[in-house]
Amino acid sequence: METCRLPTVAMICLLLAVASWGQTTKSSAGQFLAVVGSSASADDLLNAGDAAWNAVPAKHVALNRTPPLYDTDEPATLEIPSVDVRLVRAGGKLLVQLTWRDATQDTTTLAKVPDTPPETRFRKIPTEAEDRFFDAAAVMFPAQSGTDAIAPALQMGDGEHPVEIYYWNATRGATVMQAQGRGTTRRTGQSFPANGIYRDGQWRVTLEIPDLSAGTTVAFAVWNGSQKDRDGRKYFSVWQVLK
Amino acid sequence: MPKHQYAMVMDLNKCLGCQTCTIACKKLWTDRDGTGYMYWNNVETRPGLGYPRQWDRIGGGWKDGALQPSPLPTMDDYGYPWEYNYEQRLYEGKKQPVMPSPEPQSGCNWDEDVGGMNADENYFFYLPRICNHCTYPACLEACPRKAIYKREEDGIVVIDQDRCQGYRYCIKACPYKKIYFNEVTGKSEKCIFCYPRLEKGEVNACAAQCPGRLRFVGLLDDPQSPVHKLVLVHKIALPLFPEKGTQPNVFYVPPFNPPKRENYGKSILEDPRLPLDYLIYLFGPDVKDVITRLEGELRKAQEGGRSEVLQLLIGRDAETRYRIRPQLVQIQV
Repeated sequence: METCRLPTVAMICLLLAVASWGQTTKSSAGQFLAVVGSSASADDLLNAGDAAWNAVPAKHVALNRTPPLYDTDEPATLEIPSVDVRLVRAGGKLLVQLTWRDATQDTTTLAKVPDTPPETRFRKIPTEAEDRFFDAAAVMFPAQSGTDAIAPALQMGDGEHPVEIYYWNATRGATVMQAQGRGTTRRTGQSFPANGIYRDGQWRVTLEIPDLSAGTTVAFAVWNGSQKDRDGRKYFSVWQVLK
Repeated sequence: MPKHQYAMVMDLNKCLGCQTCTIACKKLWTDRDGTGYMYWNNVETRPGLGYPRQWDRIGGGWKDGALQPSPLPTMDDYGYPWEYNYEQRLYEGKKQPVMPSPEPQSGCNWDEDVGGMNADENYFFYLPRICNHCTYPACLEACPRKAIYKREEDGIVVIDQDRCQGYRYCIKACPYKKIYFNEVTGKSEKCIFCYPRLEKGEVNACAAQCPGRLRFVGLLDDPQSPVHKLVLVHKIALPLFPEKGTQPNVFYVPPFNPPKRENYGKSILEDPRLPLDYLIYLFGPDVKDVITRLEGELRKAQEGGRSEVLQLLIGRDAETRYRIRPQLVQIQV
């Protein structure tokens, strides 16, 4: 069944991507992504060094750059043309490792806000800067698993096909979001385990997401803080299919 | 469009630049984590750099129906809030004097009283600023999250803190740079026109605390409100930078009669100490008519007549300057 489903999904993705973005700089058809089984625990894998993951085969997934969304947007370039995806199933969880090259590490450590209310403290935590944005990555998949052969719209799903987005921000951490189309993304208030390491001009980010069955579509996105990326201003893949 | 519109008129002839409004606002709304640098209300010296620096020249607003680009101001433009080393000096026995840190570089009225020169005379005036709660808010249009909305019952523009994702398109779009990003919460904030106070029949904190009594508050569409009279009946109050296209609902009575040395009594139009071009820059070409009208009212009073406009402008009582009637505004629950 999966073999005949892939071309359908891939075609729909491609059509959606081309139709909706218009000037897609580069597109790639969806491809199968293999999931490797592991006897290690999800926690171990989440914090594992490069070596443990290097044995897992990586799939090279092309990224596209969204065209300018607003008239007033600054121009952006296709600095990050692809992301390497590794998938491991462990302890009933799916671990997704995304690796991509980014010349700048745009992250900071925000001061911890004390538990005491601000009115009881003489000193308040300052805003250090208000014009910086941080590197980020996300995995998106259909909120409704199952039988539907039609993948949700690539732009954050659609009314009939809601999506879940597991979003990781280099400064603010991990948060689960839901969406039913562009502009509808909302935070669920839940977090999830994630780990990001920046080394030698490369981000290696591991996200622990719910286990997804074979045939599920997944898509990836990367934000580059130094390009003031946020919101739909990002790099995105078309739908891929889990094998 | 909202059913009603709250508006504020500020008489610049009465502003003494004391920042009491700024502190009233700060103590009430921005004394929290991440808000140190932000002044929802500030008073700046004009002509001058403004807060954030050069906000009036960097962009935003509307032109031919399209939002205009603008960079985000930097923390240097706002001024990083400094602290003093009281602990070291007072409790740790360090000998150095009490000093601010980091080195103050900018602030909400950094070039206080510098002003400009006109021939051999210095001139300046104070410009108190809050969010203009515009009729066509550029910030609202710019927000892809639809986190900004104009309250249907009273036209106050607010940011839904649950919807805001801190993208800061609103800050870029606002031609008045009156939205601030809180890095601690990761969300943007702005003046809320003290709507929780208005809903209880209390005037805005900045207006209530103003020793110069220069602020007038009410519904623009309420014929009995002072703002309706000043803006629509007497036509002596103008919005700031009307060409930015957002249609502000904060209006200013322009400074109209500062005498040049030894020229007391002469019209600003015939012997201006404040260059008229600068007032036109701030308030548009209508400022000339407004000054003419104001001078006419002044002359009327000086000649022993009664000027309803001046009576209103020098209004001492809260009843004269404010008309806050929560019952006029249908509060949505």
